Amino acid sequence: MSAVKFVVTLTNHPEQLGLLHRRLEQFGRAHNLPAKMMFQLNLALEELFTNIVSYGYADQAEHTIQIHLAMEKGSLIVRVEDDGVPFNPDQAQSPDLKCPLEERQIGGLGVHFIKKFMDKMVYERRNGKNILIMKRTIGDHQSRGKRPHNPRKTNGR
Amino acid sequence: MDIIEERKEQIDIFKIMGRLDSNTAPDFEKKIVDAIQDGTTAMIIDFENLDYISSAGLRVILKTTKDLKRVDGMLMLCAMKDYVKEVFEIAGFDAFLPIVPTMDEALQRF
Repeated sequence: MSAVKFVVTLTNHPEQLGLLHRRLEQFGRAHNLPAKMMFQLNLALEELFTNIVSYGYADQAEHTIQIHLAMEKGSLIVRVEDDGVPFNPDQAQSPDLKCPLEERQIGGLGVHFIKKFMDKMVYERRNGKNILIMKRTIGDHQSRGKRPHNPRKTNGR
Repeated sequence: MDIIEERKEQIDIFKIMGRLDSNTAPDFEKKIVDAIQDGTTAMIIDFENLDYISSAGLRVILKTTKDLKRVDGMLMLCAMKDYVKEVFEIAGFDAFLPIVPTMDEALQRF
């Protein structure tokens, strides 16, 4: 079965979040993806998108952020491309989850969710672009390191 | 996101409905800041009809908790859907935020 591609093209404006959400819902419906997985995908991509919009650009210009979605052998592959400053989420500092309320900050949480909800993440910097490719198996989120619950389960297609 | 504000005795109750994300969080924050400025020290946030939350939402909740603490106040969070509660747990926020299953339990804490 060939991988079906789906592309969401956004500009670096926070209001585009609504469009991202709608396009993801479309994709999820088309592929019958479970609600919880869609929730988590939505969250991971929102965090990534808002990080790029907030911290990715040194200028006031309009930039394009492209998100490619494809199904491949029971997994979802997401590719996010932006031409902002180099940023590799995998190297971002994790938040201190045991920090008490008074000192607790929000910084780092976005990347934390991305890493929690996506199973694999590969970053590349190429031709002035950040390219982040993420993989997520279908079904409820599994913590990294755990074996999937039912590895050969298919949707009957 | 829709927000309904009600008052039960001295407690300010915010019912949030829909999505609390980076677009909708600023409005919510403003309502909370106004309430605290008007003297509210007892607050419940009712999550029964909230379908989605991202770190922007957590940021507002965290700030609210700190702001209320500063005025010797108290915040209770109630009726979270599973996926939403999980977000708080993954962020480690359940360690210091009072999250209860129902509005009744939230009210009882005051």
